[in-house]
Amino acid sequence: MTDTVQTPTRPAADAPTAPEQQLPTATPAAATPAAAGPASVTPAEDVAAVATAPRRRRVLLHGRGLFGLLLVGGILLLGLFAPLLTPYGPTEQIPGANLLPASGRHLFGTDEVNRDVLTRALYGIRVDVLVVFVAVPLGALLGTAAGTLAALIRPADVAVQRIFDVILAFPPIILAIGVTAILGAGITPIFVVVVAVEIPYFGRLLRSSILTLRELPFVEAAEAIGASRWWILRRHILPNSAEPLFVQLALSMSIAVFLESAMSFLGIGVRPPEPSLGTIIADAVSDLDTAPMQAVGPLLLVTGFVLGFQLIAQAVGARRRI
Amino acid sequence: MENNGISRRSLLAGLGAGGALLLAACSSAVDEAGSGASAGPTPKAGGTLKVAIPDDLIPKNLFTNSNTAITALIGLVYESLTRYPNDSIEPKPRLAKSWTASADGLSLTLQLRDDVVFHSGRAFTSKDVEFSIKAYADASWHAQGQLQSTAKAVTSVDTTDPHQAVLHFAHPLGNIFDLLDTVFIIDSETVEDIKTGKGFVGTGPFTFKSWTPNSSLVFEKNPKYWQPGRPYLDGVRIGIVPDTNAIAAQLKSGQVDFAEGVSPRDIEELSKDAKKFNKTTLAGAEQQIYVGTNVTAPALGDVRLRQAIAYAIDRDRIISEVFRGNGYATNLPWPKYSVAYDAEKNKRYAYNQAKAKELVAQIGTLPTIPYTYNTALPVYAATAQIVQANLAAVGIKVELEPVDAATFVKQLIGAEFKGIWTTFHSWAQYTPSTLVVSAYPFNALHNASHFTSDDYTSASQAAWKQPDGRSDAAIAEYAKVSDELLEALFLVEIGVIPFQWVSSTRLSGLSYTKRWELDVTNAYLA
Amino acid sequence: MLRYLVRRVPSAVLVLFLASVLIFAIIRLIPGDPATSLAGSDASPEAVAAIRHDLGLDQSVPSQYLSWIGNVLTLDFGQSYSVGGEITSLVADGFGNTVILTLSALLLAILIAAVVGPIWATTRNHWLESAITVVNTISVALPTFVSGVLLVLLLTVIFPVLPSAGIPPDGMFARLDITAQYLVLPALCLALPVSAVLSRFLAETLRTELRQPYVLTATALGVPRRRLLLRYAMRNALPTTVTVIGLQAGSLLGGAVLVEAIFAWPGIGQLIEQAIGRRDYPVVQVLLLLSVFIFVVIQLLTDVVHALLDPRVRIGGAQ
Repeated sequence: MTDTVQTPTRPAADAPTAPEQQLPTATPAAATPAAAGPASVTPAEDVAAVATAPRRRRVLLHGRGLFGLLLVGGILLLGLFAPLLTPYGPTEQIPGANLLPASGRHLFGTDEVNRDVLTRALYGIRVDVLVVFVAVPLGALLGTAAGTLAALIRPADVAVQRIFDVILAFPPIILAIGVTAILGAGITPIFVVVVAVEIPYFGRLLRSSILTLRELPFVEAAEAIGASRWWILRRHILPNSAEPLFVQLALSMSIAVFLESAMSFLGIGVRPPEPSLGTIIADAVSDLDTAPMQAVGPLLLVTGFVLGFQLIAQAVGARRRI
Repeated sequence: MENNGISRRSLLAGLGAGGALLLAACSSAVDEAGSGASAGPTPKAGGTLKVAIPDDLIPKNLFTNSNTAITALIGLVYESLTRYPNDSIEPKPRLAKSWTASADGLSLTLQLRDDVVFHSGRAFTSKDVEFSIKAYADASWHAQGQLQSTAKAVTSVDTTDPHQAVLHFAHPLGNIFDLLDTVFIIDSETVEDIKTGKGFVGTGPFTFKSWTPNSSLVFEKNPKYWQPGRPYLDGVRIGIVPDTNAIAAQLKSGQVDFAEGVSPRDIEELSKDAKKFNKTTLAGAEQQIYVGTNVTAPALGDVRLRQAIAYAIDRDRIISEVFRGNGYATNLPWPKYSVAYDAEKNKRYAYNQAKAKELVAQIGTLPTIPYTYNTALPVYAATAQIVQANLAAVGIKVELEPVDAATFVKQLIGAEFKGIWTTFHSWAQYTPSTLVVSAYPFNALHNASHFTSDDYTSASQAAWKQPDGRSDAAIAEYAKVSDELLEALFLVEIGVIPFQWVSSTRLSGLSYTKRWELDVTNAYLA
Repeated sequence: MLRYLVRRVPSAVLVLFLASVLIFAIIRLIPGDPATSLAGSDASPEAVAAIRHDLGLDQSVPSQYLSWIGNVLTLDFGQSYSVGGEITSLVADGFGNTVILTLSALLLAILIAAVVGPIWATTRNHWLESAITVVNTISVALPTFVSGVLLVLLLTVIFPVLPSAGIPPDGMFARLDITAQYLVLPALCLALPVSAVLSRFLAETLRTELRQPYVLTATALGVPRRRLLLRYAMRNALPTTVTVIGLQAGSLLGGAVLVEAIFAWPGIGQLIEQAIGRRDYPVVQVLLLLSVFIFVVIQLLTDVVHALLDPRVRIGGAQ
């Protein structure tokens, strides 16, 4: 019984411990005052969520959900169509264009090796896209698998839980510094860090989902009539966890954008001469007084990206509690 | 920045209600040090010089001159026997008053000053000369001085007369005064304190007061200094500020009057305000930026590829854009004032894309070449990216491999670079033979390029063993070394870059040695 | 209560142990080694071997681990390879600076939340509520380095009223008014997302609280709304809020590394980077272990405080 007692507080409480922008109110098994109480509240909501699944799509079509979707989509398109939007290449060094201030020709100015900063910012989005849509789902998959394993196989539970604890105990940025020291700068350490950071969140989420759902009458009934474990998992547990997983996915994507740009900002991310939003910002910091647009442009893109995913998570998460 | 139209005080008054900013009204840290008035014509005694530098002290590396904390400490606390003027290699007296060399070049007799005492109060004698040279060559230090081979060639020191030291050599040493300019005199009684960083006792104008790791170094005036009336300053307080932007900010706000480690762009920006800041270009204390090649790596064994690289690099662009015009392009390591400098030889690989393309075409298909650089300084990344673009333009593809300083040094020592690399080297500002027997990338016997050649080895040894490093015979030998370097081309020089310092106009009399050690013996604050 | 604590301790110790093994192993995977990085670029192989022996690096890795962890348990953190002094004072300086920064940030965040939360929960002004919502959402989403750069741009470049980076040159405690000015920007930058999370959380909790039947009853009995809010609703909202504060405090440490990089604040982040740069194994090990230790302790404390304030958890835990 100890495990289920912990579930209402633990996953909710742990989620916001990664990068600070994790929002408890938007976190799955949410830390709303109600959820902090008896454990039965969350699963009941989940059951309701299954019944009204199509409404999830609707929350993304108005209000903050729509705004988030537009932000993410818009920035994605900017990255995708970068070659059409700018006459320069991302690593093209334009003769004589050294540290030019922002102008009609170069909206964000040029950098110290004569590249157009706007071009680099647009192409820089692509790195984030890669991290968001490859590394995060990979981490989610691994975490979900680990969480399922922990919930279904008793002996594995303790080990998996402690491994999650250990990963969570390292602040992500410090973890990133360590991993990069071993692997060298580049896209690989970013992937490793993002995947490692995401695993415990998804793992804990699924584990607690399964443990609480297992106690519910309809699952017990299925067990009683002889349904196999995997059938129950596929038929009842995963569909009922889908929505919190979706919320966590959106949150994790915003964290991934943050992590990538923060690592690049610290000089332990993407390798030069490839562009990354974080690198551009880091380079621009020393020239804030003379070329503020060089920093402000990429800052807006990063913020928009992070904000967009957060809004999507909030919209879906908030609807669950109504 | 000063002329934004709104006075700070009124702005503060306006913002006064906003909680934390209220504090700013008490006394602003931005205004704290006040604006600098221009320096008066006569030196003024007193005052503590506040300095910001980016590096922390690593006591066991004291003999390496490897970072700004070490060079500042050596310059303040210690002194050498002789000293070169910054623009030549003609030795001048310092702790040694005069000297005579034997005709065979196998010994050197130094007359020492008799009015010098260590900070501990003990008199300086010839025994200290012997001790310091031995310590410099001693392997028990974690990091040894680069002139080790020369220090080891000093076989014995005759110390019978406390005010005369007779140095005996294994063979003539054309660069002996480089060693005497570099080796600083340490106190034998307190040498263990150096290794732990507890104390540094020398004979210099300032005494070491304290070191707080990662935070500060404090020095006080040496009241018993042998130069009468010097130093003017009461003390020097050095703050260790690893962030170069923060260093520039401290200069701008007047919290410090002198800084090292400011980026070329910040120096350019600050020195535009001539009323507030002085730029000191350390002519005579240069470093060379270069592209090294591992001649055993795929394709790089072909000298035509190395020549193509040498032709392809747009050196003038790198000097003007990365180093903001501070320095000049070269094909050989020697700075312009060096006895080995030859303007003609220096044009051998002038920027010529057509020639580079032609050479690449002759070679045929090329693999992608790894290009390693050190992430410690932004100028390396910028240089590497320009070189990468230059090489791409003539059909040579390279992939950048940024590594941190520790990894870079390990690969340099171990000759582990997989292709080409970029960093600074130094020692070309001294007697030319010092470079080829001491500086790691050029060492004929063992270098990071895996380059060996009997001709190069014999040329560099012949240059080193000249009795007089400035004689015509020696200069002829240096020319041979230069020819070898241009032919073999295992290092592609980009340019000679002098160090640059920025100080506020309150500070006058700032000086330096050829190893960029801080010299504020004659400095004063307005 | 004690039993609850005792039950939670073993897993915390296990996490610390696993983390120590992981830290020890990870550091030895970093390419480059301390001996060559100390020896400099002209060292002979013999000199490097001598340094390796000096530092005990020629022993087997498990025996190195055992001697390290044994020393750590007796609070002997060893010597720094590069600096040559005791690690304790080196780490204490850097950590002290980080603690000053994070505590100021936490305090600032709690202050902001304590003001914004109740206003947000009770305001009937639609515009005010929307404004708070928008600012809050952006504050949550704004990565620390973004807000840091913007703050620097605003308050040190456009309006140069505050120092942009570093710590007071004369030390932290020499002039408190000067120290405060250096502290404002980094602390604010670090506090911003935390304060946003806290205010939103507090506001939602209060709103739920104010919908409870007892509030209706009390209102009907004429208890003033302000008193209701401050006296009853706030008290009931406290337990969960403390949990969230605790967890945010744990995350502040990670955020501090970034903020320190922007504002050149010489704390733990700078120390770790420098120590990794010099391959100063003992320093890196201690710093990483310390940050894990702090995280684990904060979690433990949070659980305990939460249990203290909310009997349900305590009783449930005892079952």
